[in-house]
Amino acid sequence: MYLKSTLSWNVVIPAANLDAKGLMLQKAIITRLMDDFAAKKASKDLGYFLAVTTVASIGEGKVRQHLGDVLFPVDFSCITFKMLAGEILEGTVHKILKHGVFLKSGPVDKIYLSHQKMGDYNYVAGENPYFMNEKLSKIEKGVVVRYLVIGQKYMEAEKDFQAVVSLEGDYLGPIS
Amino acid sequence: MSGEEEENAAELKIPDEFLKAKCLMNCEVSLILEHKYEQLQQMSEDPMNQVSQVFEKSLQYVKRFSRYKNPDAVRQVREILSRYQLAEFELCVLGNLCPETVEEAINMVPSIKTRGRAHDDEAIEKMLNDLSLIKKFE
Repeated sequence: MYLKSTLSWNVVIPAANLDAKGLMLQKAIITRLMDDFAAKKASKDLGYFLAVTTVASIGEGKVRQHLGDVLFPVDFSCITFKMLAGEILEGTVHKILKHGVFLKSGPVDKIYLSHQKMGDYNYVAGENPYFMNEKLSKIEKGVVVRYLVIGQKYMEAEKDFQAVVSLEGDYLGPIS
Repeated sequence: MSGEEEENAAELKIPDEFLKAKCLMNCEVSLILEHKYEQLQQMSEDPMNQVSQVFEKSLQYVKRFSRYKNPDAVRQVREILSRYQLAEFELCVLGNLCPETVEEAINMVPSIKTRGRAHDDEAIEKMLNDLSLIKKFE
Protein backbone atom coordinates (compact mmCIF):
# COMPACT_ATOMS: atom_id res chain seq x y z
CA MET A 1 0.00 0.00 0.00
CA TYR A 2 1.17 3.50 -0.81
CA LEU A 3 1.16 5.91 2.09
CA LYS A 4 1.49 9.65 2.41
CA SER A 5 3.74 10.25 5.41
CA THR A 6 5.04 13.33 7.15
CA LEU A 7 8.61 13.18 8.39
CA SER A 8 11.04 15.46 10.23
CA TRP A 9 14.64 15.14 9.19
CA ASN A 10 17.80 17.11 9.83
CA VAL A 11 19.50 18.29 6.67
CA VAL A 12 23.21 19.11 6.88
CA ILE A 13 24.57 21.84 4.63
CA PRO A 14 28.36 22.18 4.35
CA ALA A 15 29.65 25.65 5.15
CA ALA A 16 30.82 26.08 1.54
CA ASN A 17 27.23 25.93 0.30
CA LEU A 18 25.98 28.61 2.64
CA ASP A 19 25.01 31.73 0.80
CA ALA A 20 23.84 35.07 2.06
CA LYS A 21 20.99 34.99 -0.42
CA GLY A 22 18.09 33.21 1.24
CA LEU A 23 16.69 31.63 -1.90
CA MET A 24 19.93 29.89 -2.81
CA LEU A 25 20.14 28.46 0.69
CA GLN A 26 16.59 27.20 0.53
CA LYS A 27 17.35 25.55 -2.78
CA ALA A 28 20.48 23.93 -1.34
CA ILE A 29 18.50 22.56 1.61
CA ILE A 30 15.75 21.11 -0.58
CA THR A 31 18.24 19.62 -3.06
CA ARG A 32 20.11 18.04 -0.16
CA LEU A 33 16.85 16.70 1.30
CA MET A 34 15.94 15.08 -2.05
CA ASP A 35 19.40 13.48 -2.27
CA ASP A 36 19.25 12.19 1.31
CA PHE A 37 15.74 10.90 0.67
CA ALA A 38 16.74 8.97 -2.46
CA ALA A 39 19.85 7.61 -0.73
CA LYS A 40 17.87 6.43 2.28
CA LYS A 41 15.88 4.14 -0.07
CA ALA A 42 13.85 2.28 2.56
CA SER A 43 13.25 1.67 6.25
CA LYS A 44 11.77 -1.26 8.13
CA ASP A 45 8.71 0.62 9.38
CA LEU A 46 7.78 2.83 6.46
CA GLY A 47 8.94 0.66 3.58
CA TYR A 48 10.32 2.18 0.38
CA PHE A 49 10.86 5.93 -0.01
CA LEU A 50 9.41 7.09 -3.33
CA ALA A 51 9.35 10.86 -3.51
CA VAL A 52 9.21 14.03 -1.46
CA THR A 53 5.94 15.78 -2.25
CA THR A 54 5.91 18.98 -0.20
CA VAL A 55 8.27 20.71 2.21
CA ALA A 56 6.17 22.09 5.07
CA SER A 57 8.82 24.05 6.94
CA ILE A 58 12.54 24.60 7.30
CA GLY A 59 13.59 25.43 10.85
CA GLU A 60 16.37 27.60 12.25
CA GLY A 61 19.85 26.35 11.32
CA LYS A 62 22.21 25.13 14.03
CA VAL A 63 25.96 25.37 13.51
CA ARG A 64 27.78 22.13 14.28
CA GLN A 65 30.80 22.93 16.41
CA HIS A 66 34.24 22.19 14.89
CA LEU A 67 32.76 21.13 11.54
CA GLY A 68 31.23 24.39 10.47
CA ASP A 69 28.33 22.60 8.82
CA VAL A 70 24.86 23.86 9.49
CA LEU A 71 22.02 21.56 10.42
CA PHE A 72 18.48 22.47 9.42
CA PRO A 73 15.39 20.68 10.77
CA VAL A 74 12.98 20.10 7.87
CA ASP A 75 9.35 18.92 8.01
CA PHE A 76 8.09 17.41 4.78
CA SER A 77 5.52 15.07 3.23
CA CYS A 78 6.49 12.12 1.13
CA ILE A 79 5.14 8.96 -0.46
CA THR A 80 6.20 5.54 0.80
CA PHE A 81 5.31 1.99 -0.18
CA LYS A 82 5.06 -1.02 2.08
CA MET A 83 3.44 -4.40 1.66
CA LEU A 84 1.35 -5.64 4.58
CA ALA A 85 0.64 -9.21 5.64
CA GLY A 86 -2.93 -10.03 4.64
CA GLU A 87 -2.98 -7.42 1.87
CA ILE A 88 -4.06 -8.35 -1.65
CA LEU A 89 -1.93 -6.89 -4.43
CA GLU A 90 -1.20 -7.32 -8.10
CA GLY A 91 2.22 -8.00 -9.58
CA THR A 92 4.01 -9.19 -12.68
CA VAL A 93 5.81 -12.55 -12.97
CA HIS A 94 9.48 -12.04 -13.86
CA LYS A 95 11.11 -15.38 -13.14
CA ILE A 96 9.92 -18.98 -13.30
CA LEU A 97 11.61 -21.70 -11.26
CA LYS A 98 10.71 -25.33 -10.78
CA HIS A 99 9.60 -24.74 -7.21
CA GLY A 100 7.82 -21.44 -7.70
CA VAL A 101 7.87 -18.02 -9.34
CA PHE A 102 9.17 -14.54 -8.55
CA LEU A 103 6.92 -11.52 -8.97
CA LYS A 104 7.49 -7.79 -8.83
CA SER A 105 5.17 -5.04 -7.63
CA GLY A 106 6.57 -1.54 -7.82
CA PRO A 107 9.84 -1.25 -5.89
CA VAL A 108 9.70 -4.84 -4.59
CA ASP A 109 11.03 -7.48 -6.97
CA LYS A 110 11.75 -10.33 -4.56
CA ILE A 111 8.19 -11.55 -4.15
CA TYR A 112 8.19 -15.33 -3.95
CA LEU A 113 5.18 -17.46 -4.78
CA SER A 114 5.95 -21.07 -3.93
CA HIS A 115 4.55 -23.95 -5.94
CA GLN A 116 2.97 -25.14 -2.69
CA LYS A 117 0.96 -21.93 -2.43
CA MET A 118 -0.30 -21.99 -6.01
CA GLY A 119 -3.22 -24.35 -5.59
CA ASP A 120 -3.65 -26.69 -8.54
CA TYR A 121 -0.99 -25.18 -10.82
CA ASN A 122 1.76 -27.52 -12.01
CA TYR A 123 5.18 -26.86 -13.45
CA VAL A 124 5.59 -27.40 -17.19
CA ALA A 125 9.25 -27.66 -18.22
CA GLY A 126 10.62 -26.36 -21.50
CA GLU A 127 12.63 -23.54 -23.01
CA ASN A 128 10.11 -21.10 -21.55
CA PRO A 129 8.80 -22.96 -18.51
CA TYR A 130 5.44 -22.03 -16.97
CA PHE A 131 2.83 -23.21 -14.47
CA MET A 132 -0.61 -24.35 -15.61
CA ASN A 133 -3.76 -25.71 -13.95
CA GLU A 134 -6.53 -28.01 -15.20
CA LYS A 135 -8.49 -25.10 -16.60
CA LEU A 136 -5.43 -24.30 -18.78
CA SER A 137 -4.85 -21.04 -16.95
CA LYS A 138 -1.13 -20.22 -17.29
CA ILE A 139 1.34 -18.46 -15.02
CA GLU A 140 4.25 -17.49 -17.22
CA LYS A 141 6.75 -14.68 -17.54
CA GLY A 142 5.03 -11.31 -17.94
CA VAL A 143 1.66 -12.48 -16.62
CA VAL A 144 -0.11 -10.30 -14.04
CA VAL A 145 -1.12 -12.16 -10.89
CA ARG A 146 -3.33 -11.11 -8.01
CA TYR A 147 -1.91 -12.51 -4.78
CA LEU A 148 -2.20 -12.46 -1.00
CA VAL A 149 0.81 -11.32 1.06
CA ILE A 150 1.69 -13.92 3.72
CA GLY A 151 4.74 -12.28 5.20
CA GLN A 152 7.78 -10.17 4.51
CA LYS A 153 11.27 -9.57 5.75
CA TYR A 154 13.38 -6.42 5.71
CA MET A 155 17.07 -6.79 4.96
CA GLU A 156 18.91 -3.90 6.52
CA ALA A 157 22.13 -4.37 4.53
CA GLU A 158 20.45 -4.14 1.12
CA LYS A 159 17.62 -1.87 2.35
CA ASP A 160 15.26 -4.18 0.57
CA PHE A 161 12.17 -6.25 1.35
CA GLN A 162 11.47 -9.89 0.50
CA ALA A 163 7.93 -11.20 0.59
CA VAL A 164 6.22 -14.58 0.42
CA VAL A 165 2.79 -14.64 -1.16
CA SER A 166 0.00 -17.08 -1.91
CA LEU A 167 -2.75 -17.77 -4.45
CA GLU A 168 -4.82 -19.80 -2.00
CA GLY A 169 -8.14 -18.00 -1.81
CA ASP A 170 -11.00 -16.92 -4.03
CA TYR A 171 -10.43 -14.35 -6.75
CA LEU A 172 -6.65 -14.78 -6.66
CA GLY A 173 -4.47 -15.84 -9.59
CA PRO A 174 -3.56 -14.65 -13.09
CA ILE A 175 -5.60 -11.78 -14.50
CA SER A 176 -6.14 -11.44 -18.20
CA MET B 1 0.39 -2.53 16.94
CA SER B 2 2.47 -4.64 19.26
CA GLY B 3 3.96 -7.81 17.79
CA GLU B 4 4.73 -8.04 14.12
CA GLU B 5 3.21 -11.51 13.96
CA GLU B 6 -0.21 -10.04 14.54
CA GLU B 7 -0.22 -7.95 11.38
CA ASN B 8 -3.13 -9.01 9.22
CA ALA B 9 -4.57 -6.59 6.73
CA ALA B 10 -7.56 -8.87 6.15
CA GLU B 11 -8.72 -8.07 9.69
CA LEU B 12 -7.47 -4.51 9.48
CA LYS B 13 -4.74 -5.31 12.01
CA ILE B 14 -2.16 -3.06 10.44
CA PRO B 15 0.40 -0.60 11.81
CA ASP B 16 -1.10 2.62 13.16
CA GLU B 17 0.50 4.67 10.40
CA PHE B 18 -1.66 2.91 7.88
CA LEU B 19 -4.86 3.50 9.85
CA LYS B 20 -4.30 7.15 10.66
CA ALA B 21 -2.16 8.41 7.80
CA LYS B 22 -3.40 8.83 4.32
CA CYS B 23 -3.20 5.72 2.19
CA LEU B 24 -3.03 6.40 -1.52
CA MET B 25 -4.55 4.52 -4.43
CA ASN B 26 -2.31 3.53 -7.34
CA CYS B 27 -4.04 6.06 -9.58
CA GLU B 28 -3.35 8.86 -7.09
CA VAL B 29 0.30 7.90 -6.77
CA SER B 30 0.51 7.81 -10.55
CA LEU B 31 -0.72 11.39 -10.85
CA ILE B 32 1.71 12.63 -8.18
CA LEU B 33 4.75 10.81 -9.57
CA GLU B 34 4.03 11.80 -13.17
CA HIS B 35 3.71 15.43 -12.11
CA LYS B 36 7.00 15.14 -10.23
CA TYR B 37 8.63 13.57 -13.27
CA GLU B 38 7.41 16.37 -15.54
CA GLN B 39 8.90 18.92 -13.16
CA LEU B 40 12.24 17.15 -13.39
CA GLN B 41 11.99 17.05 -17.17
CA GLN B 42 11.78 20.81 -17.24
CA MET B 43 14.90 21.13 -15.12
CA SER B 44 17.10 18.54 -16.77
CA GLU B 45 17.54 16.88 -20.13
CA ASP B 46 17.84 13.40 -18.76
CA PRO B 47 15.25 13.16 -15.98
CA MET B 48 15.51 9.37 -15.65
CA ASN B 49 19.02 9.94 -14.36
CA GLN B 50 17.69 12.25 -11.68
CA VAL B 51 15.29 9.83 -10.06
CA SER B 52 16.00 6.87 -7.79
CA GLN B 53 15.33 3.30 -8.83
CA VAL B 54 12.55 3.12 -6.27
CA PHE B 55 10.88 6.08 -7.99
CA GLU B 56 11.32 4.64 -11.46
CA LYS B 57 9.99 1.18 -10.59
CA SER B 58 7.06 2.63 -8.68
CA LEU B 59 6.13 4.95 -11.51
CA GLN B 60 6.11 2.07 -13.98
CA TYR B 61 4.00 0.03 -11.59
CA VAL B 62 1.35 2.62 -10.80
CA LYS B 63 1.02 3.56 -14.47
CA ARG B 64 0.37 -0.08 -15.32
CA PHE B 65 -1.93 -0.77 -12.36
CA SER B 66 -4.10 2.35 -12.26
CA ARG B 67 -7.73 1.68 -13.08
CA TYR B 68 -8.43 5.37 -13.55
CA LYS B 69 -6.20 7.76 -15.48
CA ASN B 70 -8.18 10.98 -15.68
CA PRO B 71 -7.55 13.26 -12.65
CA ASP B 72 -11.25 14.05 -12.30
CA ALA B 73 -12.14 10.37 -12.25
CA VAL B 74 -9.45 9.74 -9.64
CA ARG B 75 -10.93 12.45 -7.41
CA GLN B 76 -14.44 11.05 -7.88
CA VAL B 77 -13.37 7.53 -6.94
CA ARG B 78 -12.05 8.76 -3.61
CA GLU B 79 -15.12 10.90 -3.05
CA ILE B 80 -17.53 8.06 -3.73
CA LEU B 81 -15.65 5.54 -1.60
CA SER B 82 -15.42 8.09 1.24
CA ARG B 83 -19.19 7.95 1.64
CA TYR B 84 -19.06 4.37 2.89
CA GLN B 85 -17.29 4.70 6.28
CA LEU B 86 -14.28 2.72 5.11
CA ALA B 87 -10.85 2.80 6.69
CA GLU B 88 -8.28 4.52 4.46
CA PHE B 89 -6.64 1.18 3.81
CA GLU B 90 -9.91 -0.49 2.75
CA LEU B 91 -10.80 2.43 0.50
CA CYS B 92 -7.52 2.15 -1.38
CA VAL B 93 -7.63 -1.63 -1.81
CA LEU B 94 -11.11 -1.30 -3.35
CA GLY B 95 -9.99 1.57 -5.59
CA ASN B 96 -6.93 -0.41 -6.71
CA LEU B 97 -8.55 -3.76 -7.40
CA CYS B 98 -11.98 -2.58 -8.57
CA PRO B 99 -13.90 -5.75 -7.67
CA GLU B 100 -16.87 -6.43 -9.91
CA THR B 101 -19.12 -8.37 -7.55
CA VAL B 102 -20.04 -8.12 -3.88
CA GLU B 103 -18.48 -11.50 -3.24
CA GLU B 104 -15.22 -10.44 -4.86
CA ALA B 105 -15.20 -7.20 -2.85
CA ILE B 106 -15.61 -9.11 0.42
CA ASN B 107 -12.81 -11.47 -0.56
CA MET B 108 -10.49 -8.58 -1.37
CA VAL B 109 -11.33 -6.64 1.79
CA PRO B 110 -12.70 -9.13 4.35
CA SER B 111 -12.66 -6.47 7.07
CA ILE B 112 -15.60 -4.61 5.49
CA LYS B 113 -17.84 -7.41 6.80
CA THR B 114 -16.34 -7.65 10.27
CA ARG B 115 -15.79 -5.32 13.20
CA GLY B 116 -19.53 -5.06 13.62
CA ARG B 117 -19.86 -2.53 10.85
CA ALA B 118 -23.07 -2.81 8.97
CA HIS B 119 -21.92 -3.00 5.41
CA ASP B 120 -24.76 -5.04 4.02
CA ASP B 121 -24.53 -6.51 0.56
CA GLU B 122 -26.83 -3.85 -0.83
CA ALA B 123 -24.56 -1.01 0.27
CA ILE B 124 -21.52 -2.77 -1.21
CA GLU B 125 -23.40 -3.42 -4.43
CA LYS B 126 -24.31 0.26 -4.71
CA MET B 127 -20.69 1.26 -4.07
CA LEU B 128 -19.43 -1.06 -6.83
CA ASN B 129 -22.07 0.27 -9.24
CA ASP B 130 -21.03 3.85 -8.55
CA LEU B 131 -17.41 2.89 -9.20
CA SER B 132 -18.14 1.13 -12.47
CA LEU B 133 -20.07 4.20 -13.65
CA ILE B 134 -16.96 6.36 -13.24
CA LYS B 135 -14.99 3.88 -15.28
CA LYS B 136 -17.63 3.89 -18.01
CA PHE B 137 -17.69 7.66 -18.33
CA GLU B 138 -13.99 8.26 -18.00
